Amino acid sequence: MLLVGWEAVFFWMLTLVALFAAVFTVSARNPVHCALFLISTLIAKGALFLLLRAEFVAGAQILVYVGGILVLFLFVLMLVNTRSEVENPFNRQDKVGAFIAALVGLAILGAVTYTQQRGGFFKTKPSADRMAIENAKPDPNAPAGVISADTETLGVTLYTRAVLPFEIASVLLLMAIVGSVLLARDRRQEETYD
Amino acid sequence: MMMTQGPWMLALSASPKWLESLVERLFAYLPAWLTSSLAPTEVADFIVWPLIQIGVMLVVVLTAVAYLTLAERKVSAWIQVRVGPNRTGPLGLLQPAADGIKLLIKEDVIPFKADKTVFTLAPIISMVCAFIVLAVLPYGPHYASITNINIGLLFILSVSSVGVLGIILGGWASNSKYPLLGALRSSAQMVSYEAAIGLTIVSALIFTRTFSMQGIVEAQRSLGIWFVLFLFPSFIVFLISVVAETNRAPFDLAEAESELVGGFHTEYSGFRFSIFFIAEYANMVVVSAIGATLYLGGWYVPGMDWVAARLPEAYREAALTLMGVTAFAIKCGAILYLFIWMRWTFPRYRYDQLMELGWKWLMPAALANIALTATIFIVGKELGLVRSAGGVLQMDWQGKLFFTLAGLLSMFPILALLNAINRNSKSFNLRAQRTTIPVSTRKVKLSPGVKAA
Repeated sequence: MLLVGWEAVFFWMLTLVALFAAVFTVSARNPVHCALFLISTLIAKGALFLLLRAEFVAGAQILVYVGGILVLFLFVLMLVNTRSEVENPFNRQDKVGAFIAALVGLAILGAVTYTQQRGGFFKTKPSADRMAIENAKPDPNAPAGVISADTETLGVTLYTRAVLPFEIASVLLLMAIVGSVLLARDRRQEETYD
Repeated sequence: MMMTQGPWMLALSASPKWLESLVERLFAYLPAWLTSSLAPTEVADFIVWPLIQIGVMLVVVLTAVAYLTLAERKVSAWIQVRVGPNRTGPLGLLQPAADGIKLLIKEDVIPFKADKTVFTLAPIISMVCAFIVLAVLPYGPHYASITNINIGLLFILSVSSVGVLGIILGGWASNSKYPLLGALRSSAQMVSYEAAIGLTIVSALIFTRTFSMQGIVEAQRSLGIWFVLFLFPSFIVFLISVVAETNRAPFDLAEAESELVGGFHTEYSGFRFSIFFIAEYANMVVVSAIGATLYLGGWYVPGMDWVAARLPEAYREAALTLMGVTAFAIKCGAILYLFIWMRWTFPRYRYDQLMELGWKWLMPAALANIALTATIFIVGKELGLVRSAGGVLQMDWQGKLFFTLAGLLSMFPILALLNAINRNSKSFNLRAQRTTIPVSTRKVKLSPGVKAA
């Protein structure tokens, strides 16, 4: 997909914001500041979803990640004593860390360029309904900003083609919830409640 | 996969005809390099008209917020058989201005040990998140909303969930005990009630068939009915959770004066405090507008189109707009009055009661309501009472009657479920808790005449 005009401007702006905020997320000393930079990254990524015309995913990204998960992150960060980290930095292995990160980044870059030259990740011919979803571009003759079928597409996909991964993810999350409740309540607490 | 285009799928932005012709006339006077790549209608639709609306919206909502504080004090006074503010201006009408000036010229204190960047950022986040939501609120027919995006409702939900950050960060950055406690309480509260709001809105979406706010109103207009009739349990859950979401009494634990001084904004003074205050009241206006749009038909009142059709062609659109804006204002005002009423009538919840209400009452009610509404909808569809034509639902009076009755009757299974879930939880009841303390462990000996509990 080629980016032209304002789309390209927004894409590069948001990408740079996301990348720099991600760098600051790991480099900031104060954990709450880290969480704030992570929020900036996630919001920029949500806006990138808008450029892909995936409005529902963009909204859900901000609702779930920023409004739910990051709020709980901050909640936990406030409960634990985070100030001690500010005074004594613990990352003495930053050179090794940077080397490993560069290695992994180069590997990903290499993999992407290699597969791109060989014709993408999927060598097999995609199925007909996958093509239908990928080709479901907005009608160019439609009036500007007409409500797209994005949410409907997502819902239909979740209930037909993606139903198994969806259910697996749900079971996994349920297990995590039950496990965390089990871990959080010790025996003495159970006895008092019973 | 593409949805067929229904009559309610309107353009992203539209502007009134007079504005389009005005812009077209103005184009003649502008230099050619400026106008060559732009069409006058697009400029009117996407630049001029939204900017005008943004200005008007800001002024209107800020005034509404200012007078909401006055209304709050007046109504509380009436409820408590007092007079209320009546010294500044006639009937105390200049009180908001006096308050504003007072807060503006007060000293702005930033605590010595506060995190200064985050401390200044927090009120801005609150304010921005409260006001950015106004961009998708339709306050009148067709062109009367700043923009009409297809994820309007989701956008509102996500932006208001980001607004929680303002409170948390404000409480944390103050570097003080009471604000931190207030922030912790309110973040837990808002996250849990957001879940209830999200779930209860899902059951409304079964009838609206769209996230677009203007589309939701048009869906009700095409049926000639308000969705509150079909979705009465959902409306109740929405009202309760929304009060908790805006941190208002009886759920105002984040700023419980008797326990936490001022809650998350204890360390804020002067104009920063008033920004938090404005954001809180703006949030109230916004949630009441969402409630009015989703359940009470937004700007639509049954019979509106009939009246408009009787008028001469030239005035039809203007009359419709005028009636719509008035109806919308009245509906928002009614919900806001209900909020104020609730605040001054109910005592504050305890924290565990609050969590219990959120997770054990509202959540199951919202979930059960989704299942029930979906079942009712499918039953109605199988009975042929409702048809889906081009993305819009169509039904006759039998269908409307069926869905109204089914919606009201679905209260009973939901209440039965809630009863089954909460029968064994005694901690909700203060009296039941009191009996569990053994008499022997009591430090205070009861005087001889008093019976042990």
